[in-house]
Amino acid sequence: MGAYVSLPTWWRSNDSRYRLVLGKCPECGAHNFPAEGVCASCNADADFEEVEPEGTGTVQAVTVISGGAPPEFDEYQTREGAFATGIIELAEGARLPGMFCDCDPSEISRGDRVEAVVRRLYEQEGVPRYGVKFRPVE
Amino acid sequence: MNEVYVVGAGQTDYGSFPRESYRSLFKEAVDTAVASVDAEFDRESVDEAYVGTLGVGGRQLGLPGPAVTEFAGLNGTATTRVENACAASGVALRQAVLAVRAGVADVALAGGFEVMNDVSSERTGEWLGVSGETEWERMAGTTFSGVYAQMADAHMAEHGTTREHLSRVAVKNHANGAKNPHAQLGFETNLEDAMNAPAVADPLNLFDCCPTSDGASAVLVASRDAAEELTDNPIRIAGAGQSSGRVGLFQRPSLTEIPATQRAAEQAYDEADIGPEDVEFAEVHDCFSIAELLAYEDLGFCERGEAGPYVASGATEPDGERPVNLSGGLKSKGHPIGATGGGQVVEVFKQLRGEAGDRQVSGLSRGLTHNVGGSGGAVAVHVFEEGWA
Ligand SMILES: [Zn+2]
Repeated sequence: MGAYVSLPTWWRSNDSRYRLVLGKCPECGAHNFPAEGVCASCNADADFEEVEPEGTGTVQAVTVISGGAPPEFDEYQTREGAFATGIIELAEGARLPGMFCDCDPSEISRGDRVEAVVRRLYEQEGVPRYGVKFRPVE
Repeated sequence: MNEVYVVGAGQTDYGSFPRESYRSLFKEAVDTAVASVDAEFDRESVDEAYVGTLGVGGRQLGLPGPAVTEFAGLNGTATTRVENACAASGVALRQAVLAVRAGVADVALAGGFEVMNDVSSERTGEWLGVSGETEWERMAGTTFSGVYAQMADAHMAEHGTTREHLSRVAVKNHANGAKNPHAQLGFETNLEDAMNAPAVADPLNLFDCCPTSDGASAVLVASRDAAEELTDNPIRIAGAGQSSGRVGLFQRPSLTEIPATQRAAEQAYDEADIGPEDVEFAEVHDCFSIAELLAYEDLGFCERGEAGPYVASGATEPDGERPVNLSGGLKSKGHPIGATGGGQVVEVFKQLRGEAGDRQVSGLSRGLTHNVGGSGGAVAVHVFEEGWA
């Protein structure tokens, strides 16, 4: 396996995986995702205020992956075919990568409004991994 | 600060070589570099060696550096393995430059290798994405081509870059690579074929993507005193810049810029006391067509957002104002990850010495190399000038 996220690593990020908890920087007010490390906007090494976002956002960039998915998503791609993945800017301002669901992958484009939903992402070592995907909102 | 000169540079062919090993490829690159030195060169005179490799396939994850330098006859030379994804040997070169500048080494070797085609496509797939941001980017299903595809999507939306602009990069680089005997995909293509190739990661298609490659490269650098003993046709490293950036694209303020390239270029330009307008030709990191367009802007070759029209104007063709990727680039020459940065130097070395054969552009005296790790987590930029300082 070339790259790997262990179960303990996954577990420690559960707040980010399920609820997209953001870190609001006390120095500049920027929202960071995930809520750790120095502030991506102002470089402050400060204690972030945890903010739970409402979970909607706007697509900033998207690609449709036709083949060669990361091995974790091999089975998903074999079953579902091409999928869309992109970068979403949440209403609060933080950006994160996300896979799109509940739609035809070719329908997603930059500027679309989407909302976060918890889905089963993949299974490894007999343990299903859950996290957020994004689906279009009308 | 000690001056640093390139006195030799060599590479293997890039391609698929099931009968070669990572060691035999690296030795071939070192042998070629040694043979390119004007005077007789004793490889045991190398004081420090920096070897770039990602380690695709996992063949020798620990100690890959000594495994190849001892095989190539460097015989006890202090060897340091450099891992900065696709920028490994560009960064290795900068380490060699720093060692000579510091006076620690009179002669140093920088190079790299990668073998990507001798394992199953499944296993190759596992390795290709390892330089993306693992915890979040990869877990959103993003592939390596997918990250660059997202940058292309954003660049098209923000700056009006078109499908044709992307394909013009591929057509140009294949035309150049067709004249390079080292090239893996040394054939020409045309705009229609390049624009209509099968999708890989929309909007990128097969002709927007470099191949997976086996290969190795080696560059010999020396202090002024050592270089004077080795050549009468010196190539000076006038500037050596390096910078890091957030590994995940989503963590950066702009989706259409690579800040590490901007910072590394600024450092290299400052050291060389030049500006981007003084760069006569360049080997830039075109792992994907969009990457070459981003490089034009981040290196300052054109205004921000103007890379599409800039390539369409012919400015970066061999007969243009600033030829880019005369070797064929990663797109046509190939991209053996750890070897790529050193391989870029081989082309600049040959062009500046008038030894580039059918691809020679006459009258060049200053060139640049630009080597990117991942989608911008690490970047090395070097400026090369013909002659003694
Ligand atoms: Zn801040």
